[in-house]
Amino acid sequence: MFSILRKNENPVLLVVIATGISSVVTQLLTIREFLAQFQGNEFVIALILFSWLIQGGLGTILSRFFCERTTPSTNLLGILSLALAALPALQILLIRELRDTLFIHGSSVGFYPTFAFIFLTTAPYALLIGFVLPYSLFVLRALKPEYPGSYIYITDSLGDVTGGALFSFFLVYLFSPLQSVFISNIFLISATYYLLNDSGLRPVRIITGAGLALFVLLSGVLFEQKSLIPPEGKLVYYKESKYGRIEVHQDREQFTLVGDGVPLFSNQNTSKAEETIHYPLSQLSDPKQILVISSEGNIMEELEKYHPESIDYVELDPDLSDVLFRFGLIKKIRELNVINQDGRAYLEKSDKIYDAIILNLPEPETYQINRLYTDSFYAIVKRHLSSAGILSFSMEGYDNYLAEPQRQKISSVYNTLSRHFKNVLLLPGQNIYFIASQSSLKTDIPDSLNRKGISTSYVSSYYYGNVTDDRINQLKELIDKSTPINTDIYPQLMHIMFMQWFAKFSTSPFVFIIILTALSLIYLVCITKEEFVLFSTGCMAMGTEILVIFAFQIFYGYIYLKIGLIITIFLAGLLPGAWIGSRYGGNKKILLVITDAILILLTGILIMAFKQVGYSISLYAFLLYGFIVSMTCGYQFPTALKLTGDSNRAVTKLFSADLIGAAAGTLLISVVVIPYFGIIWAATALIGLKLISLIIIATKS
Amino acid sequence: MNIMNRRRFLYCTALILSAPGYSFALWPSDEKKGILPGPDDIRGKIFKGDAPDKPSKWSHEGFLYTKLSDRKVVCGICPHRCVLSPGDRSVCRSKANINGILYSLSYGNPCSVNIDPIEKKPLFHFKPQTKSFSLAAAGCNFRCLNCQNWEISQAKPGEVRQSELFPEDVVKAALKSGSESISCTYSEPISYFEYMIDIARLAKEKGLSMLWISNGYINKEPLLELCKYVDGANVNLKSFSDKIYRKLNGGRLEPVLNTFKMLNDKGVHFEMTNLVVPGYVDDPEMVKRMCGWILTNLGPDHPLHFLRFFPQYKLDRLPPTPVSTLENFRSLAMKEGIRYAYVGNVPNHEGMNTYCHNCKKLLIERKGYLVPAYNLSGSRCKFCNTVIPGVWENRKITT
Repeated sequence: MFSILRKNENPVLLVVIATGISSVVTQLLTIREFLAQFQGNEFVIALILFSWLIQGGLGTILSRFFCERTTPSTNLLGILSLALAALPALQILLIRELRDTLFIHGSSVGFYPTFAFIFLTTAPYALLIGFVLPYSLFVLRALKPEYPGSYIYITDSLGDVTGGALFSFFLVYLFSPLQSVFISNIFLISATYYLLNDSGLRPVRIITGAGLALFVLLSGVLFEQKSLIPPEGKLVYYKESKYGRIEVHQDREQFTLVGDGVPLFSNQNTSKAEETIHYPLSQLSDPKQILVISSEGNIMEELEKYHPESIDYVELDPDLSDVLFRFGLIKKIRELNVINQDGRAYLEKSDKIYDAIILNLPEPETYQINRLYTDSFYAIVKRHLSSAGILSFSMEGYDNYLAEPQRQKISSVYNTLSRHFKNVLLLPGQNIYFIASQSSLKTDIPDSLNRKGISTSYVSSYYYGNVTDDRINQLKELIDKSTPINTDIYPQLMHIMFMQWFAKFSTSPFVFIIILTALSLIYLVCITKEEFVLFSTGCMAMGTEILVIFAFQIFYGYIYLKIGLIITIFLAGLLPGAWIGSRYGGNKKILLVITDAILILLTGILIMAFKQVGYSISLYAFLLYGFIVSMTCGYQFPTALKLTGDSNRAVTKLFSADLIGAAAGTLLISVVVIPYFGIIWAATALIGLKLISLIIIATKS
Repeated sequence: MNIMNRRRFLYCTALILSAPGYSFALWPSDEKKGILPGPDDIRGKIFKGDAPDKPSKWSHEGFLYTKLSDRKVVCGICPHRCVLSPGDRSVCRSKANINGILYSLSYGNPCSVNIDPIEKKPLFHFKPQTKSFSLAAAGCNFRCLNCQNWEISQAKPGEVRQSELFPEDVVKAALKSGSESISCTYSEPISYFEYMIDIARLAKEKGLSMLWISNGYINKEPLLELCKYVDGANVNLKSFSDKIYRKLNGGRLEPVLNTFKMLNDKGVHFEMTNLVVPGYVDDPEMVKRMCGWILTNLGPDHPLHFLRFFPQYKLDRLPPTPVSTLENFRSLAMKEGIRYAYVGNVPNHEGMNTYCHNCKKLLIERKGYLVPAYNLSGSRCKFCNTVIPGVWENRKITT
């Protein structure tokens, strides 16, 4: 690999590496931007990756058509690379500005408009990135016709790994999105400058081109803060933490915490704070040890009324807890002990016993959050509660009618909780409160508070009108005991949440599924056997990465650095795999069959590991596993390329197949198979796909 | 390789680096931008070919509609005036043209029934501290992005769990529950007008008060009929801008203003609710204009509630209204001449209390739904004997 960098194609290869860096950083930033502008659920994440990969595949195909009609030129590659360097800044600013131009400010957006918006705003960059990679190869082949296609694949992988590591371990800690865009694209501008300078283009033209790209990037940095200012109120705090975007908006005397574009709570949050604290704590005679996982505005003032000995407040993101104290969104009281850790991971390691555990969680729209609503999690919680201890949390409720998807959601959580707690009380309202304990539970909360001499402004005066016995009984009667429980391995709640999202916008994903299935079938019928192998490999690589991250989070919690490491390993494995594949090998057909068999075996091992060892799988095992899988996938690209003949046409078709497969894997595994069938079946589906690939290639004449 | 001289390099670099500064002027100002861009009108559409094949057991012929040629019908209940071909469903989702006849599909089928404190409606000048038998059937002629009851207002009658409760049964159940009134509320009662009017007629016979909690988007003729039976209403005045009505609610302002005028002319007790949505409905100038219109057309006596907005349904990416905005609007309205302006959705705020417009003394202290102090004697202020607008006496209920 490194020997090729010494040859005269160096400038082009440097551009390819820099493009890899730019593309991965841009992709990660684009995902974060969309999550801050649209619904932060797993569906949206999958749609972004899907659009990105599909358009990358289309760009690759376009590149081939283009080169069949024109002679590849270094100058055009240079111009396109400069455009690539400038586009990420424009893309991010465009997403921010168009969001409120095309949709009503302050409103959330349904599935189809979200998909259309994602597809259109990412199209220029994603198509171009897909175009440039094979075009670089064609430029090299114009100089040296026998130049191996796999070298471009390897060089691009090197750029991807560098970009992934640069963002995950450096940029995200120190820089805002448009500053990160600026830094990551400086490499591309420099490499392109080197390329164009080498090609003999006039310096003024090069400087003007590079200058324009630099101008756009700099403008992005300068306009960044302006592009975030809310129309109502002021932006008084903004930070991109490694977990997402944190903003504080001020409107008159009110400070509102906004996480990833969604207002979470304000400092004028009396009703919710009282419900959150007094519904559970009024049940206890003398709560001393209290655990709060994640927060809600103004709760500490209410907690203080019980004079607890200690309050452990677990918050994953240290930047978030800092900002809550800084703006008085929660009060720093003497008994408070802040622990910056994943809530589930904390409970798994801690020995402490609590009188009350109060969870303030978002709805389970992502796998990361779903882990805090599962059967295993409630078992862990139970181990940390005293004999009369209480677990309490709330979910989005209703005013006067419990809609069907919500009924299923509430039923699933109720059924899951009931497996661990003798008594589960549901209190209806805009938020439905779940109070669970081994001891009996009272519904007359104001009466309990009166007896304790605790005064409240909301609960004491509104409870009897809003939470009547009739409403409590109506809700209880609506619980469907047959709704399956939510587990780590079968995350039932995820697909219920998807259904709820679709119901809210009166849409259904079926049109999308039908169109996608039809297009996939047409594509699969048209491709060659080798392309199918790489299609399934792309699907496998992406699907396994999602599964491994999902499993790691279940067992270890959301640990940013370690998940960043897993993603980097998945990118890094491709590099040696592709390098070995391009250098060594005998019978290509047999090698593809063997590597397919290895991938099947590896996925089988993953299923066994989930079932047998589960919670004792070490981080190193996850890393080693990811590396071997991606190395095997990486090996298949040059091997398939040798089998098809290393023509321009073959290279672009295989590139496309890999990207389209990855797109299909993302969508299928994360939003269809895992939520509906669980992770074991997701892994089994990948085995099935690879088995088809193995049979197809083995029977190739 | 072409060499660039130092002067040229420095010149180019300086130009490039200074350029972004000039383009600052192109970026929109960070001052408040007024009504923001985005779609201008979210009004609902007719559901073509979505009607059931035949009317359900309880479907009831529409109260007011016109038959056209080709078995088309025009619903006359609300200003949408849906023109429905056979097989079409109305904007409100609960009317359908089945073989040339307009049917109300939710008649006798409420999807939510509760007994609420009357203060929850909110009605502060109507029989305080009494219970109201509250019910809703599916459907609404608006598309409010911040609807609290979207699960039923934005659903078709067949899509929700419904119970069978005919008007006689509603009245019986209300009496049994000890309620002094029946409220048609939660979703939009205009969409189940036929059911509501029949309940209202029977309620009147039995001495129960009939309450209408609505967006007020109704035509003159059905409203005149309703005014014969309705004792009290809370009608939303969502904003005082037609643009915002179209953008956030999918309706128009003018018909709602006409509803207020009609209720006023007919002597129906009504209160107005204005939900203060940050960035849209929080403009003091608009509130001033709104109060001016109220004073000119309705007089100073109708209570006006400024409610705090919370992120809700599709409008879930806006912060709640700051409490001081509501306080300011209340002061502003009272300064303009509205005698009874209230703050809502803020627990135990002083702005929930009723003060005599003449002597300014505390008449009714409210703590949520509780009333710790009540200083009215009949309908008069205990301190200065001024008549306080509202319905204060308890009517005799016949069973």
